[in-house]
Amino acid sequence: MEGPCRVLRAVLYLFSMNTDYSHYYDASSLFHGSLLNIMGTRLDAVFIETDRALCESVWQKTVAELLRLDKMFNRFDIESEIYSVNLRAPTERVVASDELMSVLISCKRYHLLSRGLFDVTLSDFDAVDLDTEHQTISFSEKNVSIDFGACAKGYALDKVKQVLVEADIKDALIDFGNSSVLALGHHPFGDCWKISVENPFRTGEIVDEIELRDVALSISGNMPTHLKHIVNPRTHQFIEDKKIVSIIAQNSFEAEILSTALMIANHEEQKKILSHFDHALFKEYIL
Amino acid sequence: MSTDKNTKQVDLELRQFIKNLGYIAGGTALLTTVPWLQSFTTDKLSEIKNEKARVAIIGTGSRGQYHILNLLRIPHAEIVALCDNYPPNLKTASDLCPKAKTYNDYRKMLESKDIDGVIICTPLNWHAQMVLDSLAAGKHTFCEKSMALTMDECKAIYEAYLRTDRVLYFGMQRLFDEKYIKGLSMIHSGLIGDIVGIRCHWFRNNDWRRPVPSPELERKINWRLYWESSGGLTTELATHQLEVSNWAMKRIPESVVGMGDIVFWKDGREVYDSISLTYHYRNGVKTTYESLISNKFNGLGEQILGHKGTMELEKGQYFFEDVAPAPGILQLINNVEKRVFSTVPIAGPSWVPETASKQKPHYVIEGMVHTTSGGSMVGAENDGSDNLISAFCQSVITGEKAKDIVEECYSSTMLCLLGNQAMKEQRKVDFPDEYKIPYLKF
Ligand SMILES: NC(=O)c1ccc[n+]([C@@H]2O[C@H](COP(=O)([O-])OP(=O)(O)OC[C@H]3O[C@@H](n4cnc5c(N)ncnc54)[C@H](O)[C@@H]3O)[C@@H](O)[C@H]2O)c1
Repeated sequence: MEGPCRVLRAVLYLFSMNTDYSHYYDASSLFHGSLLNIMGTRLDAVFIETDRALCESVWQKTVAELLRLDKMFNRFDIESEIYSVNLRAPTERVVASDELMSVLISCKRYHLLSRGLFDVTLSDFDAVDLDTEHQTISFSEKNVSIDFGACAKGYALDKVKQVLVEADIKDALIDFGNSSVLALGHHPFGDCWKISVENPFRTGEIVDEIELRDVALSISGNMPTHLKHIVNPRTHQFIEDKKIVSIIAQNSFEAEILSTALMIANHEEQKKILSHFDHALFKEYIL
Repeated sequence: MSTDKNTKQVDLELRQFIKNLGYIAGGTALLTTVPWLQSFTTDKLSEIKNEKARVAIIGTGSRGQYHILNLLRIPHAEIVALCDNYPPNLKTASDLCPKAKTYNDYRKMLESKDIDGVIICTPLNWHAQMVLDSLAAGKHTFCEKSMALTMDECKAIYEAYLRTDRVLYFGMQRLFDEKYIKGLSMIHSGLIGDIVGIRCHWFRNNDWRRPVPSPELERKINWRLYWESSGGLTTELATHQLEVSNWAMKRIPESVVGMGDIVFWKDGREVYDSISLTYHYRNGVKTTYESLISNKFNGLGEQILGHKGTMELEKGQYFFEDVAPAPGILQLINNVEKRVFSTVPIAGPSWVPETASKQKPHYVIEGMVHTTSGGSMVGAENDGSDNLISAFCQSVITGEKAKDIVEECYSSTMLCLLGNQAMKEQRKVDFPDEYKIPYLKF
C-alpha cells in the first residue's frame, strides 16, 4: 500500500501546485500579487504602498498564511487536520487544534443565526458534537463530514487583513476568486475602491457598481458552467436560480457565510436572517 | 500633395506618440529604456513650430520614396533636393515633390548651401562613403540601416560621429515604435522576470528580386542579392531584431555561430536565402535568429523569454508562464498607471480554474496593435519610421544630437557582419577587440 499511496500523494501535489506571481509597479507604487490554485480558486492582491520591500515581505507572509489555511481546510488533503477529523470523528472523539475548534464554534453560531441555511456539513450540523471542555469533535451520524467550502475564503481573508493591518498597509484590494473581496482604504485616485458585478450569464453586462472602503464584500450565485454548486442543507436541493446575491459586512468570514445563506433563503427567511445583522448591506439581482 | 488635413494629422500623431509615452512609468523608467527620446517632448515640438528643416534625399528608390511621403506630411520639414543616379527613380520622386532641385551626383548636391539635412537611402555599399561625405560637408545626416557593408566602414563612421558636431541618425525605427518602447520598458521593469532566452525570426515567401529593364542593370537594381553591395538577410532584416535583442538585454553578445545556404532561390544570387544564427551573451543567454524567404508561415517576430513570462514585441503581446492575471485586476492596474479612478469588474460568483484559459495574451497597448506580416520590402505602416524621420527633422533644426542611436546601429550592424562571417567561414566568431567601442557592454 505504501508505494501506490506515495504516488497518489505526488500526483495530488502536482495538481495542487500553488503558483505565486508578483510585480511592483514603481511609478504607481502599486504592488500586485497573484496566487493560483488556492482553495480551489485564485487570489489577487493589490497594495498601494511606496515601500516595495515591505510589500514583498507582506506578500510572502500572505502567501504563507494562505497556504497554511488551504492545508488546514482542505478535506481532500490526507495530511490536513480536517481530513483526519472527517475520517475519525464518526467513531471517536478527536482532539482538535484551538483554531479548528474556534472556527467550528463560530460556524455553529452562524448556523443558528442563519436558521440552519449555513451548514458546514451540508446536511446535518446537529450531528457534530463540539466538546469545548475537552476540545474534541465527534459525529453522531456516520455519513456526516465537514466541508469549509462556504466560509474558508472569508476566514482566510480576515487573516490576510490582520497581516496587512499589522504591517500598516492602508490601501489594498484583495480579490479572492471574484466572490470575496476585501477593500482597505481607497484607490490612489479616488476615495474608495469601486468595483462592478458582472452578469455571469451575459458577459459584459454590469448588474451593479459597488463602492467599498474598509469593508468586506461577498458574492454568491450561479454561473452557466456551474449551476449545481449551492445546496440547501434542509431540502438537499441544488439552488439553480439564475441570480446573484451580494453582501457587504465588517468581516469577510461573516460576509461569505451570509452570502451563501441568503442565496439559499427565500424572501421571508432572508428578512429573518438579516434581522440579526443590522450593519450588513444585502442586495439580490435576478438575472 | 500635402494638404492641411494631412499635416495636422502627422503633427497630432507625433504629439500623441510622445504623450502616450509620457504615462509609461511616469517618465523616469522611460528615460532608461529610451534615452534617445530625451529631446522629444511636446514642448520642444511647439518651440520649432514655425521652423523648417531643409532636407535632401540621396537614393530615391523605394525606401527613399517612402520617406518622402512621410516628410510631405511633417510640418517642420521641407524637401529641397533629390539625388539619384537612376533617372526613372529620380523622376518618380521629383513628381512627388516638384519644387525640390534634382541631382544625379550626390557630391554636387552636398555643395549646396541650402541644405541642412541629408537623408541617405541608397544600397548598403554606399552608406559609409555618403555618410562621411555628408558629415564632412557639414550636413546633419540620416542614413538608412544597416550602418555599412564592412566592419572597417562601421568603425570609420563611428569615429567620424565622435568628432562631428553634426546630428547623425540611422534608420532603426523600432527605437521610435510605441509598442516596442512600451514592451521593452515593461520588460525592464521586471514584468516577465529574468530574460533567459530570445528567439527572433523573419520569414517571407518571395524571391527578393526586382524586375530589371535591361540585363546590365541587374547588379544595380538587385543590389540586395550580391555580396559586393549587400549583407543579405542579416543586414537587410536581422539588423532590426538584433538591435531589439540587445535593447532587451542591455548588453551585446560576445560570439556567434551559424549556417547560411541558398536553399530555394537558386537564380544566380550570392546571398543566402536561409540563415540560422545563434548569438551568445556572456551570461549564457542566447538569441537564436532564423530567416527564410521561401516560406512565410511564421511571419516575423521577436520573443523575449523570461522566467516569469514571454513578451512578443512585434505583436505587442505578452504571456505569463503560470498565472493568468485576472482581467479585472489587470484593468485596475492599468487604470492606476494611467491615474484613472473607475470601476473594475471583479465581483461575481466564484472563479473556478476551468473558466480561465491559461495562455491568454495580454496587450502592451490596449486596443491598438499594428503588426505586420513582414512581407513588405519598403516598410510597414505605423512602425515608428514616421516618428523617427520627424525626430531627425527636429534635430536638424535644433542641432541637438539624439542619444545612442548611432551606437545601437553600430552594435546591431556589427552583429550582422559577424554573423555573415560565422556562416561563410563555418566557425564560431568572437566579437573582435579592435571593433569594441566603450558603449558596448558584453
Ligand atoms: N528601415 C527599414 O525598414 C528599411 C526598409 C527598406 C529599405 N531600407 C534601406 O534603405 C536603403 C535603400 O533600399 P531600397 O529598397 O530603397 O533600395 P532601392 O534599390 O529601391 O533604392 C536605392 C536607390 O539608390 C539609388 N542609388 C544607388 N547608388 C547611388 C548613387 N551612387 N548615387 C545616387 N543614387 C544611388 C538607386 O538608383 C536607387 O534608386 C537600403 O539601405 C535598405 O536597407 C530600410
